[in-house]
Amino acid sequence: MKGRVALVSLAVVSLAACDNKSQIKVYRVSKAPLEETGPDQQSAMPANAPSPSMPGGMGPVASTASAPAPANWQPQSLSQMRQASFLVKGDNGAVADVSFVSLGASAGNVLENVNRWLSQIGQPAIDEQKLNQIAQHLTTSIGDVAVVDLAGLPNGADPAKDGRIIAAMTSSGGSTLFFKIRGNAALTESQKSEFIKWVAEVCNARGGTKSPQMAGAMPPADHSANPRVESSSNPRLESSSNPQIKWQTPPGWSEVPPSAMRYASLSAGTDENKVDISIVTFPGEGGSDADNVNRWRQQIGLPLLTDDLSGSNFAQLKSPDATFATIDIAGPNARTLAAWTRRDGQVWFFKATGPSAAVGKEKPNFVKFVQSIRF
Amino acid sequence: MLRKIVDISTSLKLTIVCLAAGMALIFAGTLAQVHLGIHEAQQRYFQSWLVWWPAEGNGFRIPIFPGGHLIGAVLLINLIAAHVKRFRWTSRKLGIHLTHAGLIIMLAGGLFTDLFAVESHLRLSRGDTRNYSEDQRHMELAVIDTTDNDLDQVTAIPESVLKSNRTIDHWSLPFRIVVRNFYQNSRLKILSDAGGNVRPIANQGPGAMIAVEPVPPTTAADERDVPAAAIEILPKDGGSLGTWLASDALGAPQTFSCGGRTWMLAMRTARYYKPYSVTLQKFTHEKYAGTEIPKNFASKVTLIDPERNVNRDVLIYMNHPLRYRGETFYQAGFQQDDSATILQVVHNPSFLAPYVACVIVAAGLLVQFGFHLVGFARQKRRATA
Repeated sequence: MKGRVALVSLAVVSLAACDNKSQIKVYRVSKAPLEETGPDQQSAMPANAPSPSMPGGMGPVASTASAPAPANWQPQSLSQMRQASFLVKGDNGAVADVSFVSLGASAGNVLENVNRWLSQIGQPAIDEQKLNQIAQHLTTSIGDVAVVDLAGLPNGADPAKDGRIIAAMTSSGGSTLFFKIRGNAALTESQKSEFIKWVAEVCNARGGTKSPQMAGAMPPADHSANPRVESSSNPRLESSSNPQIKWQTPPGWSEVPPSAMRYASLSAGTDENKVDISIVTFPGEGGSDADNVNRWRQQIGLPLLTDDLSGSNFAQLKSPDATFATIDIAGPNARTLAAWTRRDGQVWFFKATGPSAAVGKEKPNFVKFVQSIRF
Repeated sequence: MLRKIVDISTSLKLTIVCLAAGMALIFAGTLAQVHLGIHEAQQRYFQSWLVWWPAEGNGFRIPIFPGGHLIGAVLLINLIAAHVKRFRWTSRKLGIHLTHAGLIIMLAGGLFTDLFAVESHLRLSRGDTRNYSEDQRHMELAVIDTTDNDLDQVTAIPESVLKSNRTIDHWSLPFRIVVRNFYQNSRLKILSDAGGNVRPIANQGPGAMIAVEPVPPTTAADERDVPAAAIEILPKDGGSLGTWLASDALGAPQTFSCGGRTWMLAMRTARYYKPYSVTLQKFTHEKYAGTEIPKNFASKVTLIDPERNVNRDVLIYMNHPLRYRGETFYQAGFQQDDSATILQVVHNPSFLAPYVACVIVAAGLLVQFGFHLVGFARQKRRATA
């Protein structure tokens, strides 16, 4: 009898001593969306600290930034630090995370923050000189916004969810504003113009201006009978100078409105055989050739090249005005033709991207197009 | 000595003491909800072995009353022991046996529920798919090995472990985690806004630019704490990777490399992953015509379980939960603009215990009173005759 009672007591006490909620758990899960912390449904309940994210009620708030975001940006829950948070979804599981954070005045200078972003994508730090080469400036009503476009894939990261950061930073009224889109390289590229536009709108809204200030927007080139479409809601990045170039548009190609980062855009083919041709210019060197080639490789789903890329890997193409380095990169589904040249402290990129067959068909036109460039 | 213990554990006096203590505890715990909030009062009074004074802090504390766990466990031991000791099978005592068995099941079920039930939430916007739910009341430090291309290995360290352990040395990690500071609730400020004398508690990542201000734990039912910790990463082969700030208020995980692998660090709400996924197809919020009075909330979800070849649509609405693989999904809330639904996910292995216990107790009482009624009727008939 005593034994039975003791056994029962022991069993009950042992059971009561169990606590499965205080044990360290180890498990494997498929890759989670980038930076889903929160965003990701981090709270169905508000945090009590004064957070812009949870002003009350059960649900999160998409953004406290007083500017509309593109329709395809899915609002995410905010955290104490984020004033806006969005997730952009692309094809084949590609995602990109958009954030807006407002910090105090001493949140580091542009170089420190750019190096922090570079470390996030596994890239080495850069110096002030290099920063001047890659940083661009967007003029808004609260002042200049520094914009950088960084590419790199950290070891082991999922290319569908990482590989590119486009970040903007400015100081205004004792605050430092950070805007960032990070995610799949191609998806991030496709959102670049919308991102720049949104950054400008948020900044202008904070400055009390409704329409983005267009100071420094590049003047339309006179190379074509088609007038350049200038949208007041499509802010341009300011370049240190306003160079102008001319070219001859090959038959079958047409000019299309350029996005924020582009000098000009052209298009060839239609629908699934459409080839996108871009002209982009930056002050300075525009990064190393190896970095640029690897960025383009990532955009069409190819792995990074670890070999040292020297000039011998690139074919040269000469025009009366300049000598261009060119490369032809073919991925499983897409192909990129690129040509670039550096002159007068400026780098010029000419790129055609699209389905492999369509790009192959347009290659002779692309060569003629590059040879027709006049500075 | 053993005899004395058996006598005490089977005594009716102990039952009375436990019941009286339970009543006092419920009274005190109910009053405490005014200041502590329902969650904290539950933790301190009912889901604890002892009620402590003062309730918080690492200094001198004394137990001032038995907690719910202790009273329930002693009552359960007392009931079972008394039953074992005094059990004599006679048909006339069938009702008593059944009633006691029902009470034992109810008490044991309560203990099981408290120990093993898990409540979490699943928040879904239309089109969202999730294979995990989150416990908003408990945080965890997720240390994620992201090196693999397809899978992340997650080491989830509960908040309670961070709170109580100075050094965490786990087999899954090539480094030790030393908890330098832990704040149950905190407010983060940019260093420059926090005053000249404030220093960051971390020297790596964004935490190096942030000041952490401890604030009292929240007591409001619709708020939660924002825990923060300063943790130092010490590789097992020597050296230090610095001190990092862990807080879900940071909004983004932090990345570092150790042992040739890439790691991500994030304080987040505790997650419960499932072998199936739920996708929100549609959320309906019906109101009575011409009013803002809710009539019905319903979530149409698609349940996909590759292991069991399940792919079906389910409508979850008030009082019609989805029960699947031991978990119950209740319609619990929604986002104010109706763009998202919030489902409460309950995993309770002993959810049937109260129903079974009630049926057995009712049957026992019916049998017991039935015997008395029959005996009384017979006596009356005999007296009349």
